[in-house]
Amino acid sequence: MANLERAPRKSINDLIYDLIFKNYVWQSIFRTGYPNTPRNQMLAVATNVFLHLHPTRIHRTHVKITHTYCLGGLSFFMFLGLTVTGVLLMFYYVPSVERAYQDIQALEANVRFGQLLRNMHRWMAHAMIILVLLHMMRVFYTGAYKPPREFNWVVGVVLFILTLLLSFTGYLLPWDQLAFWAITVGTTMVGSAPVLGDESKFLLLGGFSVGPNALIRFYTLHVIGLPLVISIFMAVHFWRVRRDGGLARPL
Amino acid sequence: MVSRAAAAIRTRPRREREAEVLVWPDLVFIEFISALIFSIALMVLSAMVNAPLLNRADPDTTPNPSKAPWYFLNLQELLLHMEPAWAGVIVPTIALVLIAAIPYWDRDQEGQGVWFGTKFAGRLTIFGFTAATLITSLLIIWDGSLHVVWTENIIRGLGLNSDFSWPGGLDWFRNLRGFDTGIPWESLGFSIGGFTMFADWRAIPLGIPGTTTDPWLLNLNFPSFLSQQLIPVATMVGLPVLFVVFCKMLGWIHTRRDIALLIFSAFIGVYLTTTIVGTAFRGQGQDLKPPWDIVVLEE
Repeated sequence: MANLERAPRKSINDLIYDLIFKNYVWQSIFRTGYPNTPRNQMLAVATNVFLHLHPTRIHRTHVKITHTYCLGGLSFFMFLGLTVTGVLLMFYYVPSVERAYQDIQALEANVRFGQLLRNMHRWMAHAMIILVLLHMMRVFYTGAYKPPREFNWVVGVVLFILTLLLSFTGYLLPWDQLAFWAITVGTTMVGSAPVLGDESKFLLLGGFSVGPNALIRFYTLHVIGLPLVISIFMAVHFWRVRRDGGLARPL
Repeated sequence: MVSRAAAAIRTRPRREREAEVLVWPDLVFIEFISALIFSIALMVLSAMVNAPLLNRADPDTTPNPSKAPWYFLNLQELLLHMEPAWAGVIVPTIALVLIAAIPYWDRDQEGQGVWFGTKFAGRLTIFGFTAATLITSLLIIWDGSLHVVWTENIIRGLGLNSDFSWPGGLDWFRNLRGFDTGIPWESLGFSIGGFTMFADWRAIPLGIPGTTTDPWLLNLNFPSFLSQQLIPVATMVGLPVLFVVFCKMLGWIHTRRDIALLIFSAFIGVYLTTTIVGTAFRGQGQDLKPPWDIVVLEE
């Protein structure tokens, strides 16, 4: 009978497992055990600040790729990637008319992976616009804007506009011919607005044409102003997805 | 009368716990894999294609054509066909407001949470998208006077008349501005009794007081107003209405959701067409050209 009371001998795997996941430091970071039981899996989501954007359980149909194609999540992922690459780009870039262009040239020529960094930022920005548009189409064609999600659809439209503005303000920063004339054309369109056209254009450019003031305004909006605003709207957007009962499905 | 909050909860589907899966691992895994795929794809793209960098900005050298970023080229395309205030500001603003307003107008629960949830959703989507794409392309071709060039080339090419050119009597049908320049407006004044009406269509006195700074409001240039504002706006309002009436006659429309599907799909068609034309089919002087005839600016 004594045999039964003796603890079974631990295998080497168990020892390593205990060493990694059951030590004091690990458990101070992750309070739940390793997510290999349903209880720990739910706790892993609920007790993690990043994962708790999700509910702990969702309806089976919502993990079907063809229901969402992950478009909203990928838009957010693009935003995160753009933030990371954007912060790195800020190390090498000074938003002055004298320096902007040569900083980009230096970034491409002298900085290790500098060209790759800039390419990533550019293509991610384009990808984000396309993904946001596709996400909007997905939500529309699945009828996911219907009550109770009316307001979140409106927040989504605002996020779409902010995405375009973020890309537009970033477009000027390389200060090359492409940037300069694209912004000139774009702001001329703003200037043709009835009533407050010229005033809006002046406000945007800090002058009557694209120049040093426009560069610093676009830069500030691009790296801090608009990211802050879009973060707030994203927080509301994600929060409301949860509050309104997750993804839409038939009644 | 139920409160909005109560209504919001009531419109939620019943929770089916037996049909639920755990977010970890089922959803987190999918998110991780899709993020991974996108990271790799973008990394590969970035390794292969460089972001463009032209010459340093020079306010004195205007490239021809000058283009906005690609996602605004739909608006720049509209700019070629109507008054700038409509193309650049009013139309996009109205479009965005209308899109944002969809859920406040289409509120019934039918078709929620499934792709193309109504009976005729597929047909409405395909019809709306295709018809809008076709009509937009035709309108762009017409306003680019391509039908004039093509007709002349065909008649000359067939040897019917080697000197053929577009008849002057049809000048008004050359393009949108033809309604302005191709019609003899100066001879269209008429008299009622001893009173001459519209002696000058290009300066119809509106006499709105206090508008001396804006000659447009003081004297209406009707031909220009017609071609740059009235016809474009009537087209943008009229075509969607025609679409709805047509599909209603076909018996495809039963709910507001159906109308929303039709118009939204048509909007996507117009949005794509104008973006593609603005990006790839506009050369020097914003002339309508096939992409292979456009000289790429490399400075």
